[in-house]
Amino acid sequence: MSNVVVLDNGGGLLKAGFGGERDPTCVVPNCTARPSSSKKWLLADQLLSPTEDLTSATLRRPFDRGHLINPDLQSSLWAHLFTTILKVHPPNTSLLLTEPLFTLPSIQRSVDEIIFEDFNFKALFVSDSPSLVHLYEASRRPYGLVSKAQCSLVVDCGFSFTHAAPVFQNFTLNYGVKRMDLGGKALTNYLKELVSYRSVNVMDESFIMDDVKEKLCFVSLDVQRDLKIARKPGKDNMFRCTYVLPDGVTYMKGFVKDPNEANRYLALDASDPSSPAGEKEYVEQQVVNDKPQDRRSVDLTKNEFTLTNERFLVPEMIFRPADLGMNQAGLAECIVRSVNSCHPHLHPVLYESIILTGGSTLFPRFAERLEKELRPLVPDEFQVKITAQEDPILGVWRGGSLLASSPDFEAMCVTKAEYEELGSARCRRRFLH
Amino acid sequence: MDEEMSNSLRRMSTRTRKVAPKMAAALASSDNRTQAILARLEALENDNAGLESVQVDEDDEASLDDDDQAYQKKQSKSTKRKTRQAKALENAKKAPRTFLELLQEANLESLPPHIPTYLRAAVGPPSSTARRHFCTVCGFSANYTCVQCGMRFCSIRCQTIHNDTRCLKFVA
Repeated sequence: MSNVVVLDNGGGLLKAGFGGERDPTCVVPNCTARPSSSKKWLLADQLLSPTEDLTSATLRRPFDRGHLINPDLQSSLWAHLFTTILKVHPPNTSLLLTEPLFTLPSIQRSVDEIIFEDFNFKALFVSDSPSLVHLYEASRRPYGLVSKAQCSLVVDCGFSFTHAAPVFQNFTLNYGVKRMDLGGKALTNYLKELVSYRSVNVMDESFIMDDVKEKLCFVSLDVQRDLKIARKPGKDNMFRCTYVLPDGVTYMKGFVKDPNEANRYLALDASDPSSPAGEKEYVEQQVVNDKPQDRRSVDLTKNEFTLTNERFLVPEMIFRPADLGMNQAGLAECIVRSVNSCHPHLHPVLYESIILTGGSTLFPRFAERLEKELRPLVPDEFQVKITAQEDPILGVWRGGSLLASSPDFEAMCVTKAEYEELGSARCRRRFLH
Repeated sequence: MDEEMSNSLRRMSTRTRKVAPKMAAALASSDNRTQAILARLEALENDNAGLESVQVDEDDEASLDDDDQAYQKKQSKSTKRKTRQAKALENAKKAPRTFLELLQEANLESLPPHIPTYLRAAVGPPSSTARRHFCTVCGFSANYTCVQCGMRFCSIRCQTIHNDTRCLKFVA
């Protein structure tokens, strides 16, 4: 087994494993939570166990706005990770750690202190996520444009914020990076706010609402049309669907009441001739639904709520943050500005090698919508090509795993001895950011 | 006596209205609309429903003191209070600061303009100022604005709901 631990330390999820492997050993929430029924704080993977009842749990995260603000909490989460999940002995192990772009020097210092002084790791390499994503995509397609031009535009839409970052020869061009302060966390909170105001109070249910967002939200290709459809009553409304909240007795986890109903919207934009299949399914399902008593009426004694336009208005905010009152440009414009701040020779290549990564790009039709918005903003002579990573959550980690298994990885690291001699600031210069 | 006072105070503090600090600030401010928008955006980044996490352990203890536990409490009180005070001081010292505080401390504005920093990486305002408005009650496109708070609604029905439940009521 390799003795390099690769740790993609995201604001939402910790992805950790050993260098050279294809998948991380664990993907756990990077937070600690205390269920309302107990006094004990649960760490990372303990939150995933099916027996824990996390309704109304109090949450604490080491990250705020995508940056580490609580090193003590992060350190205890890492201690749990290294000792009980990965079972490594840090003095014999090197660590590859991802850090958000533009991390403040004070945060870098506290991270170095934790790694070298609390855990005594043998060596450390710090990387940023866009370059790792680029590395992974380039290695997957050795004859593709990304690896031939050694250049790509990585759009990382994660938990805390969204970055559009040009990467050239495995280095992120930091002068071209553009950031929107909107990510998965804000979207979940927005959905929470809407549902709490309109039906059931779910302000304390972060985990459940995360699940609702992942299962039911999608990106609309035509908002005006979809709003009209969402207004229709009864079965014509393709978007209405019901989510059942856990009641702690029969259901410990929330679930979508009728998955067929939830997927009806897919038939709307299925322009290819294969759509009749979807249509048939839709009709068939209508027949089935007529039998039981009306599912449309929301029973208030059962804890459930119905979503209609919220399903696409929530992810919509990534494309138009201004609608939320945020004075920031949308994702398409963010990409254009990022490209424009690079050398003109790079423009055509960058537009043709846009890579989507990060958990928030998992919304259905995210890439299609982005292309639709981006095309009018890009000069006609350039092609726009958007590639979604096959697994956007693990993309960064896989790049890290690849880098950790490369022969010259050890040479790029900062060792503990060097850290002790030079200190944090000078060691950091080696990572060029 | 003193202890009694502090105890009763603490009791009250556990039952405070659930108002987020930014919301409270918004209530005090004269420019309600912008403050409300800022408060709302701030709330989107919070972990626990817009409420600052309090020292929950202490609250739990305070709410426990029933008659049968009063004796036990009194015995341990003098020593416990000290440790609590010390603990509170310690906590205040190493309490996690918000990212915005750290950002201010880093003093990024003082760097020369050619160095890319966190602040300069922000995408900036949108090129077109046109924004779509959605009804804050039902979510459909909204043509009307509330004269008092500036929130949007689409119909008389939604206006009534808005006035009854949300207008200038910054209670979470």
